[in-house]
Amino acid sequence: MKRWTPIMALFVVVALILTACPSPTPEVKVVKETVIVEKEVVKEVQVGQPIHIVARCKAAPPHEEGRCNNLVSAVGAANAALAEKGDDRRIELEIIQDNADWGDYKTEFELASDAGQAPDIVCSGHEHIGDWGPAGYLVDVTAMLGDYTEFDDVIDALWASTEWNGKRWGVPQDAEARPMFYNKTLLAELGWSDADIESLPDRIMSGEFTWEDMFDTAEEAVKAGVVKEGNGWWHRPKNGGDFLYYYYTAGGEIVGDGDALIFDKAAALKVYEKLYAAVDRGILSDTRLDGDWTGWHTGITDGDVLFAFGGSWNWAEWFSNYVADRGGQDYLWEHFGFAAIPGMANGTGKPTTLTHPLIYMISSASEHPDLALLLISKASVKELNTDYAIASGHLGILKSQAEYGPYMSAKFLTQVLPLLDVTTFLPNSPHWSAWSNGYYEGIQAAESGFSAEDALDLAVDYLQNELGENVVIR
Amino acid sequence: MAEAVMGRKVIRGQKPPSRWAQFKATMGAWGFMGPATVLVLVFFFLPVVILFVISLTDLSSSNFSDPLTFVGLNNYVRLFRDRFFPKILGNTFFYVAVTLSCFNVGMALLLALLTTHINRRAGFFFRLIWLLPRITPSVIYILMWRRISHQPPFGLINQLLAPFGVEPQYWLFEQPWLFVILVNGFVGASFGLILFSSAIEAIPRDLITAAKVDGASTWQSIRDIVLPMIRWPLLFVTTYQTLSLLTSFEYILLLTEGGPGLYTTEVWALTAYKRALKTYFGHNQWGYGAAWGFVLVIIGIAMSIIYLRVFRFNELVQEPKIDVL
Repeated sequence: MKRWTPIMALFVVVALILTACPSPTPEVKVVKETVIVEKEVVKEVQVGQPIHIVARCKAAPPHEEGRCNNLVSAVGAANAALAEKGDDRRIELEIIQDNADWGDYKTEFELASDAGQAPDIVCSGHEHIGDWGPAGYLVDVTAMLGDYTEFDDVIDALWASTEWNGKRWGVPQDAEARPMFYNKTLLAELGWSDADIESLPDRIMSGEFTWEDMFDTAEEAVKAGVVKEGNGWWHRPKNGGDFLYYYYTAGGEIVGDGDALIFDKAAALKVYEKLYAAVDRGILSDTRLDGDWTGWHTGITDGDVLFAFGGSWNWAEWFSNYVADRGGQDYLWEHFGFAAIPGMANGTGKPTTLTHPLIYMISSASEHPDLALLLISKASVKELNTDYAIASGHLGILKSQAEYGPYMSAKFLTQVLPLLDVTTFLPNSPHWSAWSNGYYEGIQAAESGFSAEDALDLAVDYLQNELGENVVIR
Repeated sequence: MAEAVMGRKVIRGQKPPSRWAQFKATMGAWGFMGPATVLVLVFFFLPVVILFVISLTDLSSSNFSDPLTFVGLNNYVRLFRDRFFPKILGNTFFYVAVTLSCFNVGMALLLALLTTHINRRAGFFFRLIWLLPRITPSVIYILMWRRISHQPPFGLINQLLAPFGVEPQYWLFEQPWLFVILVNGFVGASFGLILFSSAIEAIPRDLITAAKVDGASTWQSIRDIVLPMIRWPLLFVTTYQTLSLLTSFEYILLLTEGGPGLYTTEVWALTAYKRALKTYFGHNQWGYGAAWGFVLVIIGIAMSIIYLRVFRFNELVQEPKIDVL
């Protein structure tokens, strides 16, 4: 026993020393190893009681950083408003901004909420309201919105994206459209006249040029050697909201009367048939869903692809990061055009697009939701939102921007704006994610060589297995 | 003559130890075992229990803040009804078997034999080189492989083969399993390499010398002396690496995400991860993912038992036939 006494004593001493070591206070919050996290604390000369507010944003650097940076810019106006009201509280803002994956970003907020450590403000996709509203993570701001006149300027149609269960759970931060980009140079090589090329957006909007026409043109380009096999048409390289508008234009509905989501087999089958045919005809590569965004951007901006379904923010991404050395926006205007997504002739026949507004939401764990909303209101003004919209390729959210010089002189934004006439949204439903996964499994199958019918069977199997009574298969 | 009884030695003709001495010996044994036992219970046993409990619930991101709802074995029923369950299981066994036999044990043993039969300094250098994949950060390592096997016009392989008239291809997606196994194997081989090398170095030189004097060839000395003498590290590396491969998915996630296409390189652990933690829109099904994870634990335990029997573990750890006082 005597031999062990020193060992045990040493063990106890080491344990005590380790316990006594103070845990370091991190200066920078690290969300995960591979994610860049910025933290900026805005401190003003304190004349009142400082209130620490934390805002969390997902933003691709540098063009989307206005999401949180606009809140930083709004601190002064918010504190001035407090001073004017005789409120002695003053906002001290900390922002956490990075470009995490959507899934990780959402999970982080959920875990933080459950641990009581959620940020006061989170800027996220509107569809997350479907999960976070029922879970009690968000503040219902319906009754509070009237206290801030800035919100009267928000485009009425956008409020729908903040709603769940008849209530509003946040404030729109941005809007966008998801257009079809086309390469003008390649179309000209294919023999299209300038007039044909310039009129393409109008012909799509009128329903004259359909999805089927797009595939025929893409196939012609592949056969003529204008583009390589598989480069006639590209969609995004991984799952995402885009694929839902395929279903919409095929005639599908997703939201019904109850809480359950609808899966329309006829519409989904049309989508799977289209995708199977695209690979079969050499328009689309069977490895297109490779998850490689860099390769996707490079392929399109290098002029290798005839048609590509993307997002309005891609424009900003491309001129900032991909063609800056070739002339930036001028290069893009010279070589690329954009239009609504052509309608499927065997579906609705109508052109479409999808808008995925990001929403500023307030955590139910916030001790100062009124200050959080005040800050959001001061960030939701035309000057700040226009700066963000121009830099990021997103659309404005305010009615007054339609008459605001800097916004209206931004050629890209004004030309994208008409697409909102045919826009659609993701559903704010807690079942959306599982629905999307099932539908996407069918897409992967169709592009991997499964027949459209088999792809549909897989999707239906998945949805019934995952959602049970929360999906109506019809 | 002495006999060992429950950790104490009773020597004929001597007084048996007092009860106090026996108590002290027992407490001493527990004292040494205690910290390890606590660690095993807290970090190994308890997580399995928690995993099993969660697998019986419908815990997901949409009901995270609600009290747990137990759904019995529903998650297991869903799992076994999944159309791709047999494919994922088959992928897992294929991935483990091929990576283990070709690299983690096979290549490791081959390299250990080679590097211990050449100049000592050169052998050390080669072992060091094989450690590089292991010490390279996973993301950097996979980025490198992706660039090597990237689609035309990129990709190092395409650049190297172009002068020979080989048609450029997206090699990673043309031969996904080849790359998945190479990527994991190059990392995994170093573990066995180090253990086998040290075990081979520890074999008394006299035995090898005596065999050579008796006319044994190099192959005969390896077969009849080296391999039997390193049975213990072989058992350890095989068992440990099997379990490690069964639960590893990070390189596959970074390299192919289980693709291309539908579940082509998806292994069990990756499915568990995706179900529980990784969907594009963040619909995390922790209960369902836990069911996938718990089945993996069962598979791991079953594999361990099989290995212990195949390698006759009891014989390896049996008490020495000669006891030295």
